[in-house]
Amino acid sequence: MALSDIIRDNINSLNYFLPELLLTGLVLLMIIADLLLKKERSPWMSIIALIGSGVVLFAIINQYELGSRSIFNNMLAVDEFSIFFKLLFLATTILVIFLSIASVELSGRSVGEYFTLLMILTLGLFLMASATHMITIFIAIELVSIISFALVTYLKTRRRSSEAGLKYAIYGAFSSGLMLYGISILYGLTGTLNIYEIGEVLAGRDTNSLALLISVLLIMAGFGYKIASVPFHFWSPDVYEGAPTPITAFLSIGPKAAGFAVIIRFFNVALSNYDGVAEQWLALSNINWPQIIAVIAAATMTLGNLVAIAQDNVKRLLAYSSIAHAGYALLGVVVLSSQGVYATLFYLVVYYFMNLGAFFVVIIFQDIIGSEKIDDFKGLASRAPIPAIAMGVFLFSLTGLPPTAGFIGKFYLFAALIKAGPEFYWLAIVGLLNSVVALYYYARILKAMFFDKISEGVSPEPLKISPYYVTLLAVLGIPTILVGLYWAPLANLASHSVHFLPTF
Amino acid sequence: MNITLFDTIFYLLAFLTLGSAAIMVFSKNVIYSAVGLLFTFFGVAGIYVLLAADFVAVVQVLVYVGGILILLLFGVMLSNKITNIEITTETLHFLPASLVVIGIFVVLYRVFITTDWNPVGSYNFDPTTHEIGTLLMTDYLIPFEIASILLLGALIGAAYIARKD
Amino acid sequence: MIPASYYLYLSAILFVLGIIGVLVRRNLILILISIELMLNAVNLTFVTFSNYWGVYDGQVFVLFIMVAASAQVGVGLALVKTIFKKKAIVDVDKFNLLGQ
Repeated sequence: MALSDIIRDNINSLNYFLPELLLTGLVLLMIIADLLLKKERSPWMSIIALIGSGVVLFAIINQYELGSRSIFNNMLAVDEFSIFFKLLFLATTILVIFLSIASVELSGRSVGEYFTLLMILTLGLFLMASATHMITIFIAIELVSIISFALVTYLKTRRRSSEAGLKYAIYGAFSSGLMLYGISILYGLTGTLNIYEIGEVLAGRDTNSLALLISVLLIMAGFGYKIASVPFHFWSPDVYEGAPTPITAFLSIGPKAAGFAVIIRFFNVALSNYDGVAEQWLALSNINWPQIIAVIAAATMTLGNLVAIAQDNVKRLLAYSSIAHAGYALLGVVVLSSQGVYATLFYLVVYYFMNLGAFFVVIIFQDIIGSEKIDDFKGLASRAPIPAIAMGVFLFSLTGLPPTAGFIGKFYLFAALIKAGPEFYWLAIVGLLNSVVALYYYARILKAMFFDKISEGVSPEPLKISPYYVTLLAVLGIPTILVGLYWAPLANLASHSVHFLPTF
Repeated sequence: MNITLFDTIFYLLAFLTLGSAAIMVFSKNVIYSAVGLLFTFFGVAGIYVLLAADFVAVVQVLVYVGGILILLLFGVMLSNKITNIEITTETLHFLPASLVVIGIFVVLYRVFITTDWNPVGSYNFDPTTHEIGTLLMTDYLIPFEIASILLLGALIGAAYIARKD
Repeated sequence: MIPASYYLYLSAILFVLGIIGVLVRRNLILILISIELMLNAVNLTFVTFSNYWGVYDGQVFVLFIMVAASAQVGVGLALVKTIFKKKAIVDVDKFNLLGQ
């Protein structure tokens, strides 16, 4: 392509890049605003962030009208798939801003950098969802990782927080080193870094399957770190426990969903015969990656659930449970059908409501009683009925019991898995057994809250829950039940979003 | 097989790189490790020159030796001074780690030996700066811009974390 | 003429040395240094393949890896510094407050 064509494509792409450009502008605005507002601890930074997010939201919805296109010389893709994820990330960010305003941990600190970094992190997630070139994928993943290190350490005077940040940074750097080695082998095999071209080259030529296998395993190390799948989950309980709770809630959704976006796009475009039309497609003949991911999924949910049983700290318990949920969501990836991708997308949205909700209840109790231990949750239902009932809804949904959204989400995942044929029946059985195990430890929290007596020495008087908290709980809790009863709108959105660009 | 000057230089640089990397990993003294890393960086930069990647070689020296290594050395000195304790460098879990690592190496070796790589082709040592610069401003414009945001974010984050308040 | 595989062996050995460093060394700064070694091995592979295929993408990727590495080291050292300020520990095995 001539140089002038490349430059023209870059300029034409700007129109499709509006949400990201607005977000960048917002970040710059916030840096300046932080300097001007530094003296007073005002709520202005969060207000600017919220207004900016609203503007970005309109820009994203507007992208539906522009149609699918590969932009910036095939560096990024604008398609329904990436728009869906951008909406999910922005919703996460907006809710985390609300959680942060309420958070006691963060009060009394300068929050200028906090909100600025949060918006940069959102930009990184946007880019992960649309990246179609190994360089863009890598630099977006690094952007998300490095900003997360800083945000995890935001309570730097608390030792747990800085320790968590350090562990996150070391694991992150190590796994990105492994991923890069995998990418370099893939580059050696194909001579290109663009995932569409990688797909063409690999489909058209018989490559050494051992080299391809090693490269895919190493690349999966980097992606697996982002979704906290076995064996790259070590960081997650420590980081979830040590980070400020709003950031924990963010990390359990944002980067995880972005990791799924990258996995689905990379594996299906580069390593299968996906063409964007067929309902069902096949992996490349010389690498059976669905089986690799199936094993990872089984190991991830089993380990997450089994270790969660032994936890006494609710934040750590939710960390292991979110490892397990990454395993469930992977079930939709292994089947290579639009139904599978659809089930994963649906599950991620459901997971957004129930997981953020559960974390929010932990934030409320932590702020009031100052503890995250299950033992200190005893008898909370009588002292604070509204958050306790909400927690019940979220935990039922996380377990996957009807009539909650979690049930519908799991149902779609298992349906896609069964439909794919007997090859994956074992995985469905593992998944079902895991759901039973999960019921046990979620029930422990509920038992402590609803059936155990208040510990001695704790006054039984009711706790004051501010209306602000109740409103936020309703925002998360009502959809969790509503989607369980009437899921057609969400199902429509998810089924519209399964299409990503198969070629440039 | 007759050994040319080019080959000799390659073997010398490979020896320098691997020897200093081994010192870096296995030395008991952190300062020795840092100096080992210095020579590894220089060795790798030399190999880049052999691979006709002059711009990357120069950037390697500037960024890694001039930036990252100095930063790491600051870290070593700073931690020594603040803590005033001996930095623990005993090696633990040696056996399991080495088994894992030998496994990885054997697999990588198999990968490279079973794949049919030709000799490295182009030895026309033209300057690469022009091509790389053009690529960065055309094809790779967007990663280039993202990288600047990455650096901005890292700057804000590092400044916040390291700041007293 | 040196075949491409020689460069690849060299990078594989460097990469493996880096992994040994990360897994075996207990000193934080040495772990950071070992990760830099791994990244150098990756860079060497990319430059080799860039030469092998006669395209410059690999070299551009190396530049991006360097950017990310320097950002990582910057934030990593800031983290090391905060931990030092609080407690004089450099041994990763002693970071065990979490999970108790």
